[in-house]
Amino acid sequence: MKKKVLSLVCMAVLAFGLVGCGNKDAASDTKTETPEVTPASVATDSSVADDASGEAIDISGVKLISDGVLSVGADVAYPPFEDFAEDGTTPIGFDVDIITAVADKLGLKVNIINTAWDGIFAGIGVNYDVACSAITITPERQETMLFSTPYINNYQSVVLRADDDTEIASFNDLEGKTIAVQKETTSDILMSDYKSTGTINVQIVANEKITSCFTQLLNGEVDAVVVDSTVADGFLNSSDDYKIVYKDTAEAEQFGIAISVDNPELQKAINEALAELEAEGYIQETYDYWFGTVAE
Amino acid sequence: MKKFDIKKYLKTIIILCVILVAVVILAVLKPSETDLFKNTSPEMQKMIEQDANSTRKRVTVTYNNLLIINYASLSTSGAKVMSEKYVGFLGKVYPADKGGMKITGQMVNYTYRMLGCGENLMHGAKLTITLTTLTVLFGVLLGTILALGKISKNKILSKISGAYIFFFRGTPLLIQLFVVYFTVPGMFGFAWRDVFSSSDPEAVFKGAFVASVIAFALNSGAYCAEIVRSAIQSIDKGQFEAAKALGMTYRQTMTRIIIPQSVRRMIPNVSNEFIMVLKDASLVFAISLMDITTISKNIMTSEGSYLVFIPALIIYLLITAFFGFVFNKIEKKFSVYE
Repeated sequence: MKKKVLSLVCMAVLAFGLVGCGNKDAASDTKTETPEVTPASVATDSSVADDASGEAIDISGVKLISDGVLSVGADVAYPPFEDFAEDGTTPIGFDVDIITAVADKLGLKVNIINTAWDGIFAGIGVNYDVACSAITITPERQETMLFSTPYINNYQSVVLRADDDTEIASFNDLEGKTIAVQKETTSDILMSDYKSTGTINVQIVANEKITSCFTQLLNGEVDAVVVDSTVADGFLNSSDDYKIVYKDTAEAEQFGIAISVDNPELQKAINEALAELEAEGYIQETYDYWFGTVAE
Repeated sequence: MKKFDIKKYLKTIIILCVILVAVVILAVLKPSETDLFKNTSPEMQKMIEQDANSTRKRVTVTYNNLLIINYASLSTSGAKVMSEKYVGFLGKVYPADKGGMKITGQMVNYTYRMLGCGENLMHGAKLTITLTTLTVLFGVLLGTILALGKISKNKILSKISGAYIFFFRGTPLLIQLFVVYFTVPGMFGFAWRDVFSSSDPEAVFKGAFVASVIAFALNSGAYCAEIVRSAIQSIDKGQFEAAKALGMTYRQTMTRIIIPQSVRRMIPNVSNEFIMVLKDASLVFAISLMDITTISKNIMTSEGSYLVFIPALIIYLLITAFFGFVFNKIEKKFSVYE
């Protein structure tokens, strides 16, 4: 008898747990459709909405996967561009703010679809309309997809542990070191090029997530992390364990929103929206909010 | 032991010999490395000369030698992309810029990278094979100890083994791998890399490899424990009693009578576990090691070539075919006890 009572109690607890989860999920579902909880976006959204009602950009010819919604693919693990808020389900970040504002300009809702960086490009036009995930515009990528006008400049940078006094004046000073990069990012491509051409002898450790790279740096598995300066800035804002010792200001990279190659109408609409946001100072404002005032 | 019956194997031997001769002929006729690079355009040669004294070199030279065929490519990065590719086969050098030769070149290059040629044991197929073999080896050893613990009459020993098996079967391997590689060193303030000398440039990969062998073996041990336990318990109880009646101790009964018989019953399940680990090995992508799956996915994202998955499948099948054969032989050898 005792056992039966115990198992009933267990079942009840489990059932309540499941119901609890269910409720939370439902709540977060509605949230992800309108991810405007960050102070920056909330502050500007009202003004954006006012403008949009004044002169909306014409999107009559634009093909979308679902009507009235701009579906956005993003690898949500790349702060400060995209990350989950404390509740673990709401995507926030620079990219999220930008794409939300763009969608507002177009009179669309935003639906952020979290996807792995591997294969993020294959999903454009299939699972989502655009990909906005700190994507560098490169000639190779331009062959297979369209890009919006760039919305942020980025430099490759070298990050060390805060207590490391090594002098890094250029990438050539990484000779003989072990570095971590995020797999298949521009940092990976650049460093692999330095290695394969024989410019420097360096061990490259490629990780799926940038957070793994920083953990490896902190644990002492690697000597340095080569990463986008924007991401490094964001990390340094929230931690004293690291420092940026070098920024390759000679070779700037530009991030753009990637659009399916057979959807030039959407590209045009997004470019118009970005131009308006730039003119209003919204992009600079959002940049300052997410990256501090270290912008060059 | 039966006398070696040559007639039975004659067909196989002939086929193997023909293949061997063909490979040798193709390997001998294959153009040399210098031949492959002979056709390099003057533009590219100029770039290479410039690189010699430059601090930022631009030309990537690749040379892949795959026994019967070889592939060379020269390419530059930057705004003006130059690229030259050649495939060498049967004494001739073919340019591999388009058409069938381009695909052949890609296949040679992808296969070379996935096999981990020109790299140490911590890359590609070599990594997959070494990691799987070590995992199953340690896993079976650990599993035997755990199984004996679990069926032992000692209550504490039995409970500890049971708890271990419960824990490692009840949690995902990927998280165990993360804990071994990130959490444990972070908490105790050491780095896996420091296990090896600091002057070793490959230390970081070796460290990750050690961590993954530990995580995989701990996990596989739990699964193997159940395999070993079921094999031991499947032996007829009468044999225990007979051994006891003959005055044998528990240890003697186990080592001389029960375990030798149960090995044969274990083999099919261990072989299953081996193949599972072989495919699970791709989880090491999470701690920066590159196995076959990770490399093929990388090639897919960087070059957008879905063709890469065909050699990947073939490599996996060849590995499983080989180890399936080995396990078959072991099983046959041990079946003499029954």
